[in-house]
Order: sequence, then structure tokens, then C-alpha cells
Amino acid sequence: MEEIRIGVYVCWCGTNIAKMVDVEAVAKAMREIPGVIVAKDYKYMCSDPGQELIIQDIKEHNLNRVVVSACSPRIHELTFRKALENAGLNPYMFEMANIREHDSWVHTDRAEATQKAKALVAGAINRVRWHESLDKRSVEINPATLIIGGGIAGISAALEIADAGKQVYLVEKQSQLGGTVAKLDLLFPHLDSAQQLIQPKINRAMNHLSIQCFLNAEIREVFGYIGNFEAKVYQKDDLETEIQFGNVIVATGLKPFDPSKIDQLNYKRLPNVITSLELEEKLLSGNLVMDNGKDPKHIALIHCIGSRNKNHHEYCSRTCCNTALKYSNQIRSAFPDAAIYEIYSDIRSFGKGCEELYTHTARQDVMFLMYDQKGEVPKITEARHSEKVNMMLEFREQLSGEHVEVPADLVVLMVAMEAHENAKEIAHAVGVSMCGNSFYIEKHPKLDPVATTTGGVYVVGSCQSPKDIPDSVSQARAAAARIMADINFGSVEVEVTTAVVNEDICCGCQTCISVCPYTAIHFDAEKNVSVVNEILCKGCGTCGSACPTGAIRSRHFTDKQILSQIEGLMSMQLQH
Amino acid sequence: MSYRVDFTLKHDLKKFGIHDWNECFHCGNCTAICPMTKTGSLFPRKDIRLLQMGLKDKLATNLDPWLCYYCGECTETCPRDANPGELMMSLRRYLTSVYDWTGLSKKFYTSHFWEFGFIFFFFCAVIASFLIWLPLSGNTAELINDQGGVMINNLVAGISGASFVNIIEIGDWTMAILVAGLLISNILHMFYRVVIRDKEVKVPVYAYITEFWSLIWQFMTQSKFSKCEGKTYWVGHLLLMTGYSIMFAVIVVLLPEFQIEEVRPWYNWQRLMGYYATFGILFFLVYVTISRIRKSDWKSKFSHPTDWLFIVMLGLTTITGILVHIFRIGGMVSATYYMYVIHLAVLVPMILVEVPFSKWSHLAYRPFAIYFDRLKEYSRKSQNENKLVRAA
Repeated sequence: MEEIRIGVYVCWCGTNIAKMVDVEAVAKAMREIPGVIVAKDYKYMCSDPGQELIIQDIKEHNLNRVVVSACSPRIHELTFRKALENAGLNPYMFEMANIREHDSWVHTDRAEATQKAKALVAGAINRVRWHESLDKRSVEINPATLIIGGGIAGISAALEIADAGKQVYLVEKQSQLGGTVAKLDLLFPHLDSAQQLIQPKINRAMNHLSIQCFLNAEIREVFGYIGNFEAKVYQKDDLETEIQFGNVIVATGLKPFDPSKIDQLNYKRLPNVITSLELEEKLLSGNLVMDNGKDPKHIALIHCIGSRNKNHHEYCSRTCCNTALKYSNQIRSAFPDAAIYEIYSDIRSFGKGCEELYTHTARQDVMFLMYDQKGEVPKITEARHSEKVNMMLEFREQLSGEHVEVPADLVVLMVAMEAHENAKEIAHAVGVSMCGNSFYIEKHPKLDPVATTTGGVYVVGSCQSPKDIPDSVSQARAAAARIMADINFGSVEVEVTTAVVNEDICCGCQTCISVCPYTAIHFDAEKNVSVVNEILCKGCGTCGSACPTGAIRSRHFTDKQILSQIEGLMSMQLQH
Repeated sequence: MSYRVDFTLKHDLKKFGIHDWNECFHCGNCTAICPMTKTGSLFPRKDIRLLQMGLKDKLATNLDPWLCYYCGECTETCPRDANPGELMMSLRRYLTSVYDWTGLSKKFYTSHFWEFGFIFFFFCAVIASFLIWLPLSGNTAELINDQGGVMINNLVAGISGASFVNIIEIGDWTMAILVAGLLISNILHMFYRVVIRDKEVKVPVYAYITEFWSLIWQFMTQSKFSKCEGKTYWVGHLLLMTGYSIMFAVIVVLLPEFQIEEVRPWYNWQRLMGYYATFGILFFLVYVTISRIRKSDWKSKFSHPTDWLFIVMLGLTTITGILVHIFRIGGMVSATYYMYVIHLAVLVPMILVEVPFSKWSHLAYRPFAIYFDRLKEYSRKSQNENKLVRAA
């Protein structure tokens, strides 16, 4: 067996790690471990000079294993594998120890955090000893793309790909394309028509030769991996269509918050309390009246309903401020003498042309009243008969500190954007993760905002977080560009960390088949052994841990590797 | 207790001089820079907010605008050009109309027709009264006294000496009592709106007496004013105030001593007092006129029509008064008579409009506002102490 020569690199991550972990001490301690040839610390290992340092050391010291202790492997494992490859090493001869998320960010005692870092790195060193060279596998890319969701984001991505001559399957839950944008009247900040924007796109998508639209349709499960997915599209009347595709774009959009969860708004109980989307309906029909058919004289717009409040959603829904400002302008042109109240908690009118919209609106004779969205929302009650108005709003106005009454004939609730109820099912079907708000998580919030940790699956638009139209379209086209690049290249390298069955040991008990969550194992009756379908296997390791004979081995997650890692961890703790 | 917002108030207030009411975004720079801000008060930001929201009832109980002397620091510091100083000025105009129960003040502030009509009516009425009932005596040659001056009390045909003074004196007193009555009733109305109707304060009776000195002291010295930036303005204003007070005393209370036939030597104390008063008024008028034309400081940048009217009326009154004095000493009989008539024709409408209903009413509202403010503060303090005692 060849001599094991390990290089260890401890990253400062600026001050992210260095302020809580004594990185020099960690590197020094690692030099004592047998097999470690070099151990260094550096300010940013992921930077070009940082990677160059590793490459030079591999060449100079003839290293054959590398450990980087830095951030999460989810962020930079591929970066460093690439570096190893550039230096002529097999990329799997690498292990990463996470001393940022698992250590410096979550601890407050520098000495203890440093000790923990030593243990984590020692574990990684012990593990990397047992790493094996794995051959990368390259797979052909199926040039078709599945897009789930036919709103502005889905349509934009579909047209982008289809215009390049590639097949698109566009699956829409509703009976028509267009999503939320198709329900809107005018758009901020320039008050142009939403219908003129979306309808031509819908027509083009419906009639495009390269786009197959499935309406009233849903996807329940997606099988396969990047380049080679397959799924069934379920439509009405038990209509099922099997499709194959190489990439998936999830563009399932948003759902408006239900304000009847907030009791004192009296939504549904008072007929003239409506949501922003219900106001859009009225505006689209050109009939902005109260339930009795009369013109409203006092109109109140309440911001942040369901947003920025721990009881509902902590996030800002991002578009409601600008939408409310848009309403003020629309209402002002419909009723020049009406009293308009913007009951806000902070005006967030960022974006191109949006601050200008705010400035313009503030001059449209609109009364801005500030309430505390973290505390009580305005209480809406029916006005007394002697009053000339329909309803009365009561709340504490923040800038004056006074409790005020605001008369209103029509109240518009600027409801939050939230994820669909079935976001979880779709997440499970395509293999993306969700954050606490049920929005899908992108691969990197800044550097990889449309990809996910599952290769070939992209998330765009408001299913990823509340978004306006320009941002949704940008994301859609970004994902389309990523996919077109892969299709153009023709093939893609995939992870080989799947399970393999040692047919000599396998007893044919089929335990693995019953536990596999991806139905990736089938039984070969002739040989009386289990066989893993590497296309479907996601390398989760469930079968490996269930196998009574140890016949199933998860590549890159072997028992030996994991047990050695634990030994390494414990060795450092005992020394302390 | 909650207050109703009023969408229309800011429109109603436009005629009082408020324009950029929506620019303010409540950063609080004005409060930080204002030399008048007391600890814990949000002056003048809070007042702007009440105005933006149209909290009429809250505004009516609010004394803040009277505590501002418009140095303009806030306006200079304002990052949004919301002009808080002028906003406070406009609020004083508005509050004047709120305190005035007759409704005339609002009419004068918001309608040129009413204001100029009123002035023109009294101008004509005074001139007509003289020409019809008190015409110039035909016998002008006999109206020159030993010193070569005009015997002013014999100018009117058929009425001589003390009788003429009496007629003017009766007119003086009638006007003084009318104006004082209006002012006092307006102040009682102010007291009702500001102190009685404010449910948050309860003023103990003895506080009315112990705090009374502040009313007198502020009226006499305007010492609060001197705390603002720019002392020239305070000195000028004090000159005007004392000059006007002297003139008022001389004309109303001491008329028989003042309007006499003989020309006194220049060093006579009454003449010297008159010259001081004239100088005081003229100095301030010229100062204010120049700064308003040049817009040299913040408080002079924005002139409401009523500001100019006040300057013009007081200027005309002063100039015609000076001319009467010159013509009388110079022995110009007809000129003295006609100038005397014009002088009264300007003075009467000026007093009737300005003192109870317009800009000049601040002579009463300001010191009383400071007095009421001290009463309210007294009440707040004693309520807090009570709370502390109860809590202990």
C-alpha cells in the first residue's frame, strides 16, 4: 500500500472562524498526527491563492490526501475537489471538516471551540486515510426540460428554452397559464397593464411548437438525476403522461395570506374589508365600489398583513408596499376627492423607479399613518349609524403616539405572500429543501441563487422567496441559461457516491429493497441478489445500515471511513 | 381616548399658509435643534404630525405653536425642506381662528374679500363721519396759536376745545373696550379649549395664583424669546412692544393731556415719550420690511398676505401720525385736519382687525399660552408625584 501523505488546511474565513477558533493552534496540533505532512492556516482557503496553496503543496510534498477545515461542504466541497483534480489527484481523496457552522458560529468559548475544531479536523484526517479513488461518471443530458408552474417565472423560463429549440414540458395546476400576474390590473412602479404584459406571453407559450403545456395538471414524483429524469404528469380524468427530461425548474409561485386568521380585522365578517388580490379583481372589472354599489369616500390600505410578525410570517413580503402605493394612485385617479389612508409600518419602496413612486404618491394627497406591525394591527369595526362612513379603524399611531380613529368605507388588506400548502409535496417530489417558511432553499444565497443542492433542479420566482416580476423573470432566465449551458455541453458529471452490492456476500434477504426510499433497488431472482439502480440511487445510505450481512456498501461512506472518523474525533477529546 | 383623523384639515389650513405639510418624515432634527424644546417634549415635530393627521381636537388643546418665536433653526436644519418654522407660524394663524368664537378671524385669514372689505368699510366710515358730522372749520386763520402751531381741538366747525377731545376719547374708549372684550372672551375660549377640555390635566387652584407672575413677566420682557437665536429681533420686537404700549396709554388713557392746543417744547417728557415710541415702532417696521423683502432670514422668507397687511397698516398709521405732528407744528391747518382724519381712518380698522382677530392678537395669546403651559406642566408634575406616592 502506498504511503499516506496528508495535507491539512485550516481556514480563518476572515474573522468568521479565526475570532472564535485559534486556527494556528489547530494547524500546529494536526502536524503531530501521523501521516500529516503539512498543516497550514490561511485567511481564505476558498480564494484563488488559497486553492493555489493546496495545489502547490500537493506537487511539492507529493501529497495524496487533503483535508480542509473551513465552512460547510455544501458550500465549498466541490471547489476543493476541483483543486485536487487540477493538481492531478482523484477528487475523492478529500475531506472537509466544518469548523464554521458546526463550531465558530455556534460557540462562545474560544478555548473550547478550538479544542472542538481540533477534534473535528482529527476526525476528518482519520477518515481521509481510508478514502478511495472513485471514478467520475459522465451522463448524457436529455435536452427536454420540465417546468412546474405556469406563472410569469415559469412562462419566461419556458419561452427562453423553447426559443432555443429545446423541448419544454410546462405543467400548470390551474386551468390557465399566467399565475398571479394574470390576476393583476396595473403594475408598479409605472402603472402599466399586467394583462398587456402577460397575455401575449401566455399565447406564445400555449402555441409554441417546443412547449407542451399541461393544464389542470400536477407532478407527484420525479425519478432520476441530472440529465435523466422521468416523471408522470397527472391530469383530470386519470390522464397520465410519462415524460423524460434532463432538468427541472420549479416555479410554483405564491399564495396570498388568509387574513381571517387575524380576528380583529373582521375579514369575511365585514363585507367591505377585502384583500389586495380582491381589490385587483375590482380594479380589473373597472368597478371599484362598496358592497352596496356606492362609491367609497374613505379608503384605508393596511400594510404588512401577515408579514413581519412572529405570529404569522417574520419575513417582509417585499411587494406589498409598492402595490399599496400603486393602489393609492389608482384610487386617486378614480376618486379625486376620496380620502386615502396608507396605514403602514415602514415603507419599503426599494427597486428601480419605486422610491420615485413613493415620492409621487406622497404628493397625491394621501395620509400616511404608521402602526406597529409587531403589536396590534388596526381594529376594524362597523361604524355607528350616526356616522357617515361604513367602518371605523382604531390603532395607536406610531409617529404621534396617539390612539386614533380612522373612518373607512373600504379597507384593503395588503396580505403577505406565502408558500403553497403543497410546497412540501413538491419539494419532496423534486428533491429540494425548504427553509422554515416553506420557501425553497437555493444552493447559495448570493453566488448560486437559482440552483439547488440537487443537480438539475432549479427554483425560480416566488416559491423561493417573495418576489416582484423583474426578479422572478431574471431568475427564470438565469435558470434557463444554466440549463441551456448543460444541454449545449451535452453531458454532465455526476456523483458516484451510490450504494453497491457485493454479490458474493448478499444473501438475498431483500431487507434493502423494503427500506429504500427511492425504489432504487430491485431483486435479481436468478442470481438471488439485490441490484442497485445507480440512476435512481441518491446515496442516502439507508440500505447500507440495514443490510444484515454487510453486503451493501455506500461508496464514500464506508463503515471503515465513518468509524475511523469517530475514532479520530474521540482521540482529540481524550487528549484534553 | 382616541382622536379622529381628519382628512380635510390640511386643505382647510392651506389658506393659513401651510403648503408642504407632507414633506416631513419625522426624523426629529427640528426637535433636536430647537432652543425652546423642553426635556421630553417633541416640539415641533409632534405638532407637524398632529397637523398631517388632522387631529383637530388635539391641535386645539395644544399650546406649542405659541411657545415658538420662529428663529428658523428648524427650517434651516430640516433635511426634507418641510419648513417646520413656517408650519408653526401657520398653526398660530390657525389657532387664532380657533380661539376666536365670532368666526371673523377665520374669515379674515382665509378671504381677502372679507379682510379688505372690513378694512375698507371702516376706512370709509371714519372719513365719512368726519366729513359729515365733524367738517373742517371755515375759519382757518384763527386756528394758529402763539407758537405758530395749529390749534387742533378747534379744527372742527362748531365744536371747540374740550368737547372735541371728549368725542375722540369716547371713540377711543369704545374701541378699547370692544377690542378688550373680544380679546378677553377669546382668551377665555382658549382657556376652555386648552385647559378645561384637556382631560389629561387637572390644575390645582393655587397654581393659578403661583404661576401668575410668569404671565406678567413674559408680557413685559418676552424673556423666552431672548433664548432664541438672533438677539436683534428680540430687541427690535421689545422696542415695538414698548413703543406701542406707550402710544396706547397716551392715546386712550391720557388723551386730554396729549391732544392739547399748545405746542410743548421738544424736551417735554410727553413729547420725548412720543418720539421714543415712534422710533421704536418705525425701527422695527423698517427692520422687518427689509428682511421680508430681502428674505434675509428664515422667518422672513415666507410672507402670508396678513403679514404684509399688518406691516402696511401699522406703517401707514405711524407715517400719518408723524405727518399730523409735523403739519400741526408747522401751522398747516387744512393739512393737519385731513391728515388727522386719514390717520384715524387707518388706525381704527387696523386696531379692529389686527388686535382681536389677526396677527396682533398674539400680544395676549403668547403670554397666556406660556401661563397655561406652566399650569399644565404643574398639573402633570403633581399627577406624576401622586402616582409615585401611590406606587410607594
